[in-house]
Amino acid sequence: MQELSADPDPITAELFRNAIVALGDEMALTIYRAAYSGVLKNIMDYSTAICDARGRLVAQGLSLPGHLASIPQALQACLRHFGDDIAPGDILIMNDPYEGGMHLPDIFIFRPFFAEGENRALAWATTVCHHTDVGGRVPGSNASDSTEIFAEGLRIPPLKFHDAGVPNATLIRIIERNVRLPARVMGDLRAQLAACEIAVRGLEDLQRRHGPALLRRLLDETMDHSERLTRHCLSLLADGEATFTDWIDDDQIDAGVPIKLVCTVRKSGDRMVFDWTGSSPQVKGAINNTWSYTAGASYCAAKCVLAINMANNDGVFRAIEVIAPPGTITNALPPAACAARGLTGFRAADCAFGALAQLYPQLVFAASDGGNTGITIGGIDANRAPFIYVDFLSGAWGGRPTRDGLDGNTNMFANMASFSIEVIEAENPLEVLDYEMVPDTGGPGLYRGGVSLRRTWRMLATEGILQVRSDRATHRPYGLQGGGPGAPSHNCLNPGANQQDLAAKLTMTLREGQVFRHDLPGAGGWGDPLARPLDAVAQDLLAGKVTPQGALRDYGVVVRADGTPDEAASLARRAAERRQRPPTPSPAWHPLDGRGV
Amino acid sequence: MRIGIDIGGTFTDLVAIDRDGGVRTVKTPSTPQDYAIGIARGLHDLLGAEVTAIDELLHATTIGSNTILEHKIAKTALITTLGFRDVLEIRDLRMPRLYDINWTKPEPLVPRHLRFEVAERMRPDGSVSIALDDASVAAAIDALEAHGVQSVAICLLHSYANPAHEVAVAQAVRARLATIAISLSHEILPEIKEYPRTSTTVVNAAIQPVVRAYLHSLRTRLDEIGVAAPVRLMQSNGGLASARHAGDYPAQIVESGPAAGVVGAAVLATRLGEAQVITFDMGGTTAKAGLVEHGQVMRAEAMEVGGGVMAGARLLVGGGYMLKLPAIDLAEVGAGGGSICRIDPGGAPKVGPQSAGADPGPVCYGRGGTQPTITDCNVALGYLDPAGLAGGSLRLDRDAAWACIDEHLARPMRLSVPEAARGMLTIAAATMMRAIRSVSVERGRDIRSCAMMAFGGNGPLFAASIARELGIARVIIPPMPGLFSAFGLLLADTEHHVSRSFRTRVDTASVSALERLVREMRDTGAGRLAADGFASARQRMQFTAMARYVGQSSEIPVPLGDLSAAAMLHALPDAFGAAHAKTYGFRAPPGELVEMTSLALLARGLADTPRLPDSMTPPPGAEESVRDVWYPGTGWVATPVICRAGLQKTPRAGPLIIGEYDATCLVPPGSTARRCDFGTIVLALTQE
Repeated sequence: MQELSADPDPITAELFRNAIVALGDEMALTIYRAAYSGVLKNIMDYSTAICDARGRLVAQGLSLPGHLASIPQALQACLRHFGDDIAPGDILIMNDPYEGGMHLPDIFIFRPFFAEGENRALAWATTVCHHTDVGGRVPGSNASDSTEIFAEGLRIPPLKFHDAGVPNATLIRIIERNVRLPARVMGDLRAQLAACEIAVRGLEDLQRRHGPALLRRLLDETMDHSERLTRHCLSLLADGEATFTDWIDDDQIDAGVPIKLVCTVRKSGDRMVFDWTGSSPQVKGAINNTWSYTAGASYCAAKCVLAINMANNDGVFRAIEVIAPPGTITNALPPAACAARGLTGFRAADCAFGALAQLYPQLVFAASDGGNTGITIGGIDANRAPFIYVDFLSGAWGGRPTRDGLDGNTNMFANMASFSIEVIEAENPLEVLDYEMVPDTGGPGLYRGGVSLRRTWRMLATEGILQVRSDRATHRPYGLQGGGPGAPSHNCLNPGANQQDLAAKLTMTLREGQVFRHDLPGAGGWGDPLARPLDAVAQDLLAGKVTPQGALRDYGVVVRADGTPDEAASLARRAAERRQRPPTPSPAWHPLDGRGV
Repeated sequence: MRIGIDIGGTFTDLVAIDRDGGVRTVKTPSTPQDYAIGIARGLHDLLGAEVTAIDELLHATTIGSNTILEHKIAKTALITTLGFRDVLEIRDLRMPRLYDINWTKPEPLVPRHLRFEVAERMRPDGSVSIALDDASVAAAIDALEAHGVQSVAICLLHSYANPAHEVAVAQAVRARLATIAISLSHEILPEIKEYPRTSTTVVNAAIQPVVRAYLHSLRTRLDEIGVAAPVRLMQSNGGLASARHAGDYPAQIVESGPAAGVVGAAVLATRLGEAQVITFDMGGTTAKAGLVEHGQVMRAEAMEVGGGVMAGARLLVGGGYMLKLPAIDLAEVGAGGGSICRIDPGGAPKVGPQSAGADPGPVCYGRGGTQPTITDCNVALGYLDPAGLAGGSLRLDRDAAWACIDEHLARPMRLSVPEAARGMLTIAAATMMRAIRSVSVERGRDIRSCAMMAFGGNGPLFAASIARELGIARVIIPPMPGLFSAFGLLLADTEHHVSRSFRTRVDTASVSALERLVREMRDTGAGRLAADGFASARQRMQFTAMARYVGQSSEIPVPLGDLSAAAMLHALPDAFGAAHAKTYGFRAPPGELVEMTSLALLARGLADTPRLPDSMTPPPGAEESVRDVWYPGTGWVATPVICRAGLQKTPRAGPLIIGEYDATCLVPPGSTARRCDFGTIVLALTQE
């Protein structure tokens, strides 16, 4: 029987919250500093957290939205597996998506913390990192066209990485033998261990200060406080229910077959439910979500409509329920492939935002660019040395209830940095011909959606393999409240008069001198484009984000020879157009063109 | 006589020090319409007719950052390579806040219609891929002229490898537009990565006309009042530079005020024999922490201006305008005297980051503030004298503070007013400790072996309790803590930082190529020092390489001293391994390949006289008095209040309050205070 403690006073509780959140951040910083791989540094595709004895999340370090729900799922799977068989000096490892993980490159490391004189863990230091490679068919272990998890790399069930302080040499040799870049994987695992060490030292300090009984109460109170805040914010929102459907173009295996995502949001009193019933059955391609990734997308959308950005922990989850039916693309069953589920996470976030927009039109933006496009170009350079170039592009936010969408900014569901053009050229036999905004691609609206970004590459080596994972070529980013959809994404070879258009997802050979161009989708617009002030259209014309033709087509604005709007002609034109298309703001949209109907 | 002048948003601080160590100070209201007016007035107030005796005028100013924050920049254009005019606006895509759909990127300093493209192309090795197209250059210059542009940034791809096209464009611009200001990326930051280089060059261009106009106005006013002494400006990196250099490279003086305080702390720490010092600078809205080791300040390679305060979250970037220039590394949190205290809807007490600022200010100022602040808590507990701040010019309403804390904090938490007020101070201290930890513990330093140097208007009030909580045994309160940035200016040296991209594996590097680079950098540094009046005997060169293991994605600095190129390459693998172990706790096995990506030079001009006088006598202050002050555990205690001159070399036990013109120092029960060399106060803390 554990010793009971009186309720902590509000000052002590706040100081503890500060300390435990700072500890999560300190873990994140440790990984950032010590990690080898660029995935961790540039994309910050990792998370750190402190959990309690039952595996409940108490404090999370800075993290990608997609990781919001993963750590407790994975830790609780380990606790079920090991039961009482956890001793000081143990460190657990796993990456199995079907035991609470997300996809194989995400490796979890868990270290228990024991209070002095106790033999059951009081808390857990937890980390998850996206590793550069975990073996499987393709470098990076990220192929979107695998059809079974067995092709995707090394699958690690809950295991002891260290057993009572002794490293598990067998497992380490298996990992080293099964991944393409063992030094980098082991280096990044060391960074995870270092972060856990920092956390355990911090927990020891807190235990010395408060004693184990009060420490347990403070962990509880930290979660309870987030729950109170979440419920407070939820109770400020109107009750209601809304369903939204969004689509992924295809999974590259069944080319051209759209994949459906359905999200129903039910809000009642101080709780909210995200229900994914009705979504497509799991698919053959590697874009299946596990429950936790769908939950991450749901929580990300929910956090955007809550008035307070409270610390992420179990208290938030208590108030927001996520239902994802097993066997669907939102909660796949083994042996579904899931390495490239990033795309489905982005679309799930779009879909959850779409459902929330119907309940809270003033709190939600129109669809963003649909998530990152992944580009890989690999081959042999002039010195017979292999090169591999991996890039992720993103860049447009949907129009917002009070302002335009951002042009050139990371997607809300990620927080990724772009790669330097000069570094790309210095390190690869590639020339980048442009990196710029494309006019007339932002969804028209009272508040315009962000415009497309374009990047174009010329191959300088004899030949190489180009792989592209993009989407939103047929199912465009939706507009809201009468706003139009963003432009579709587009791939082409040798742009110009004789250009060859390409599919959104492709694998092909790129030969010396050939030029490949990718246009990201534009984002959706918000509100009636005919209501957009002429001043705002004039600004876009000046900046070249809208052309005179685009201004006429999308905004009913007549542009003079000097490039400025003709006010009288524009008002007449708008009045005429309005008679033909009455401004009936509607959140519903047509699946094939994304335009509000 | 030498003068340090630090301009802040509200006050201009002046400190004069004469050859015998005599010190005079004054605080005077800043004059934002032309800061030079306030300076001339302050000099007159401080020195009267003696102004002609000034030998040197050292200056820190927020004019660079304010120009950007208030968007008072010059009409600025950018000329760049065809296809890349949006690099400036796209930035590196990252955002500083998640889950906020209303977050908005800072407006680009050059709007899209003033970003012009020229057809040309360099390769990464510096060879020409496409020759510069004269017609496109002429069209760009036509546009500059048509739009009435005042300042232009020129940043072409791979100009760090070969600046020929940038130079040619600049010559063409200069030939037609004689008065336009020109900033060239290969001069300002000759390093790979187009976004940081473009952003830094654009900031330089955008503030250059404003900074030059200010420096011109300052010179004119000084000449008018008979001050012929040269003006030197504090750079963000902690070194001084001539006014001419600051006018050419204004991007380097953007964070000059906070840098001056840390530099002052570094010099003082060295003279006091302190090896490791944490600087703690707390003002009205923010608190900043820095680290000084063996007299050396820590520098960051890049900073953001106008990004606001990002508490404890140094991984979140993108809130401001990026400057990739060395700057003194400071961690900043939004906690100061004006920080507002409140209870959140979940029942938790919170401090800041909202601030009551100077207007309306804390409730006790009686200017309409209605929410309790940190200063209100300090007044309620007796830590601050209700009779007033700044020598009595501002009276504080203790009853109003008390009532407000009672209503908004104490009753909701079911605590007494002193308990609630003290609790809020503790929470504020916890926030500030995060800043301190991020510059020390998070870099592997053992904080218990450090001393703390506390300054800023609120630093000496909080220092003892924070130090005790962190296990720091010694706190140093420097002279003039409330004007310490101005004082620090008097202690700084002239410095120039030069950096160049140099990407090569160390084992296959060309010694002759590195030799050429080292010679060119050394010439550049020496030339700048000579222009500032330092003969070669008073020049010191210090090289640092940025290096990493092949396959790693980010670099760490490796100090190389003043070695020859061959010796650098020989020393690098081992020196890098040692630096890696110090930073990350491990090094790779021998034989792991190392590559360098750039080389930096710190060229320092040594002053010919010691900057810090051996002794400084504090000004006499008020007689000793007594005030009731509340401490946790003991409650109200009658506490002696003395001035700095009233403190002796023998330690005096707390509780004790040392009141000064510009700050208040709290010596809590269980600690002692004594006077030490150079007019400092040293607190010794016993651990509870």
